[in-house]
Amino acid sequence: MGDIKPPSNAPGTPAAEQREYLSDDPRDIGWVKQNVPCQTACPAGTNVPVYIREIIERQFGRSYETNREANVLPGILGRICSRPCESQCRHGWPGNGEPVAICHLKRVAADLKDAGHRITERLYSPTGKRVAIVGAGPAGVAAAHDLSLLGHDVVIFEREERAGGMLRYGIPEFRLPRDTLDIELHNALRLGVQMRTGAEIGNGEGQIPMAKLEQDFDAVLLATGCMAASPLPLQGDWEKRELRGLEGVEYGLDFLVQMHRGVKKVVGKRVAVVGAGFTALDCARVAARLGAQEVTIHIRTAEEYIPVTQEEIFEAKREGVRIKGLRTPVGLTAEGNRLTGIEFVQNRLGGWRAGGRRQAIPIEGSEFIEPCDTIIIAIGQQTVNDFLGTRLELDRWGNVRVGEDGMTSHKGIFAAGDYVNGASTVIQAVGHGRQVAKRIDAWLMGRERRKQVVRIVPVEQPLRERAFDFIPRQHMPTAPLDERMKDGAHEVELGLDDKLAFEEAKRCYLCNLRYQIDVDRCIFCRACIEVAPRNCIKLVRGVEVNDDGAYGKLLETKEWNQVGAIWIDNNECIRCGQCFKACPVQCISISRCELTEVEV
Amino acid sequence: MTKAKNVRHHVVIGSGVAGSQAAETLRDREPDARVTILTLSSLLFYNRYDLPKVFRGHRDWREFLAYPADYYRDRRIDVRRCSRVAGVDGSRRTITLEHKEEIRFDTLLVASGGRGYIPEELAEFRPLMHPFASYTEAVTAANVVPDRGHVIMLGGDMIGLDLARTLVDTRHRVTLVAGPQTFWPHEVAEDERPGLIAALENMGVEVVEAADAGGIASIEQGAKGLSARRVLFKDGTELYGDAVMPFFGLSPSVEFMLGSGTDIERGLLVNPALRTTGEGIYAAGDVCQIWSDADKRYRFFYGWKNVRAMGDLAARNITGGDDPWVPVQDEKLHIDDQGKLQSPFWEYE
Repeated sequence: MGDIKPPSNAPGTPAAEQREYLSDDPRDIGWVKQNVPCQTACPAGTNVPVYIREIIERQFGRSYETNREANVLPGILGRICSRPCESQCRHGWPGNGEPVAICHLKRVAADLKDAGHRITERLYSPTGKRVAIVGAGPAGVAAAHDLSLLGHDVVIFEREERAGGMLRYGIPEFRLPRDTLDIELHNALRLGVQMRTGAEIGNGEGQIPMAKLEQDFDAVLLATGCMAASPLPLQGDWEKRELRGLEGVEYGLDFLVQMHRGVKKVVGKRVAVVGAGFTALDCARVAARLGAQEVTIHIRTAEEYIPVTQEEIFEAKREGVRIKGLRTPVGLTAEGNRLTGIEFVQNRLGGWRAGGRRQAIPIEGSEFIEPCDTIIIAIGQQTVNDFLGTRLELDRWGNVRVGEDGMTSHKGIFAAGDYVNGASTVIQAVGHGRQVAKRIDAWLMGRERRKQVVRIVPVEQPLRERAFDFIPRQHMPTAPLDERMKDGAHEVELGLDDKLAFEEAKRCYLCNLRYQIDVDRCIFCRACIEVAPRNCIKLVRGVEVNDDGAYGKLLETKEWNQVGAIWIDNNECIRCGQCFKACPVQCISISRCELTEVEV
Repeated sequence: MTKAKNVRHHVVIGSGVAGSQAAETLRDREPDARVTILTLSSLLFYNRYDLPKVFRGHRDWREFLAYPADYYRDRRIDVRRCSRVAGVDGSRRTITLEHKEEIRFDTLLVASGGRGYIPEELAEFRPLMHPFASYTEAVTAANVVPDRGHVIMLGGDMIGLDLARTLVDTRHRVTLVAGPQTFWPHEVAEDERPGLIAALENMGVEVVEAADAGGIASIEQGAKGLSARRVLFKDGTELYGDAVMPFFGLSPSVEFMLGSGTDIERGLLVNPALRTTGEGIYAAGDVCQIWSDADKRYRFFYGWKNVRAMGDLAARNITGGDDPWVPVQDEKLHIDDQGKLQSPFWEYE
């Protein structure tokens, strides 16, 4: 990588003399991954600090484009993302307060950009290669977008009448307005992607065989998601009984998909939802809108451990949904063919399962019955493979197995999103779709055409004020209850306005700012240590280096005769800039470090 | 000096009935130990069952204290008032207060009680309601309700109905907007409910069933010259009053325990010996859900006698005991021979 050379920006060099440069040094890449936890947590690698900084500058369009570089659906994810970034946000670490509302700010960029905003795309010249994508959900759309930018001819085959997959058929309109969905899908696919809806892959009549795709295209990407509802495991007489024929039994995913296909859904007065994810919550909220008088979500563990946001739980409760914990369904009760209740067993909390979920341990002899007239089963989704007609290797969960290059066991057939990973989140699907698109491109072209580097930009002065640390998290305004419950399409979250967005954006620590002390110029006066609001400036003997070349553990000392350097611990640093302002010899420098991609 | 090093530090979070009783028992059983109570309250322990007295003209905080300050000094119980716990690290046995101070403990008893629950659908109207869970809130409510004024009581848990008795007795008008939480924490069968509502009416409380009016649509502030509050129902009917007071039961105060390593469902989950899943951490009172072998589930136990007994039991188990929880309070709601409602939760010493 001889073409990427840093300029002589030694710490302490006056900012005016420093220059922006690109680095592929693993220490710099490692630094960003360690120190910008929100970006690292985002499966799509969204450059969060930069887009939030652009909101502070009221450059909403630019902020939207920054988002779009990593995630082609910012307006959608700004509404329905599961927010893995926020649980890692440094502002939410113990003692620092609440995490920044990163997701709401993403929506701000989408909502407040100018009408007629110009979209920026980095187009490559045509390659003459053809790629078929099966499934127009988030993984398929993200992959199609990137592959089309890279110059390939892309055709998406979608069995439903409209594109969007789970976004359109699995998420209710009150969380994701369809005009937002339509606009962003259109923007993602407008660069020549052919969308063939109502086109089902399979070997039946009117279906398109996989063999035909393999014949007509250079590569095929399977992104059909997890579109089969998982069955409810019951015990005793109910263990092997088919539930679908029982009046009052619905499967959550089918319930939502049918509703979004236009089927009129009806629920009873007393609805029980079994499950703990977004689908369960969505089903419960839909049931409340369909007129159910009592809607209860039954979960195996407790509210604290379910993988949905606290805001979603709160809004569901506002709408009258109740959550009852520590129970697992073991049977049903019925009169004739009509459901009358659910038999549960009481649980206690156990240890932790792989993946960070809490275990529930049933307590023998603690069975009890909760009456209900509708049960909506939303305990998960599975992949469907019977359309393939091509034998692909599957893993133990029935998901298709792929190699490092994203390819299945069949040459030229790739897979992405939930179809590979099992039911996950939209942002995971988008991120995986993009990753696999890059691998397909490398396979088609015989080489990688883009690689990751760090752009390092000198910053003249701190971009934050200490007072920003005390701004509370701004709350999302929501529609009044009577308005939102009138129909299923009234959006509940109204979005932050310009003023709220500005306040919220100021809370971001801008973790991509790297503060460094030039040891050669430091006079060890301790002025920076005196003003530091946290234990963020340390006397060190040295610094360990990790296997990947990034800086690791600081070897702290309190003995002056052992001090090798005064070191800013960027993990503790909240980028308040107090040290920079206090330094009498200006030996502290600030640089903005952001991951980006360049052509190889 | 050696002895001082071995002195254990017992910390109690909460200075209510459970916390105060626990501190007393801890001191009795371990005379050399450090005992610290952390409380959000600016007052020393007072009995919230006394709070309705504010409507009888008792407003001086000193009248409400269970013990004078000397009591704590003499017993070497360190009460730190106005202390908000921000977090508990069970593995490091450290409590972090909101102002970042860290307190080490050897054993911790969480007796932080519960705060008045307001159903999420009414949360946006919180600023227009007058809760009644603390001395300060009680005095504020008493100050806004004029003599013979009209109180609209939402929910009607047993804490609220206790206040309603006083309000009726002091010639205030009380309208109860009844719903699922009426009579909480008593579990009332559907066929019992009409009789109990009739008993309330017999006591002078006007009752409106929220469900009959389609539920509450909004709570509004009255314009100048009109009643201070309006409760609007979904069927278009409305109620005017001087104050709206929510009584929907209690919600355990456990937020600061999230991430502590202890199991939480709605409250802190404890075994019959009141031990949480965190090493050295116990819970007592309205904040904990106790495993009941009889019911095969975790459940709350309410009432002054139960809560005090829990505080005592937790302290005994902290100091070497291993006794299981046995409820000490009758939980049956009944109607007396004068046709009035009587609840064991209204009885206290």
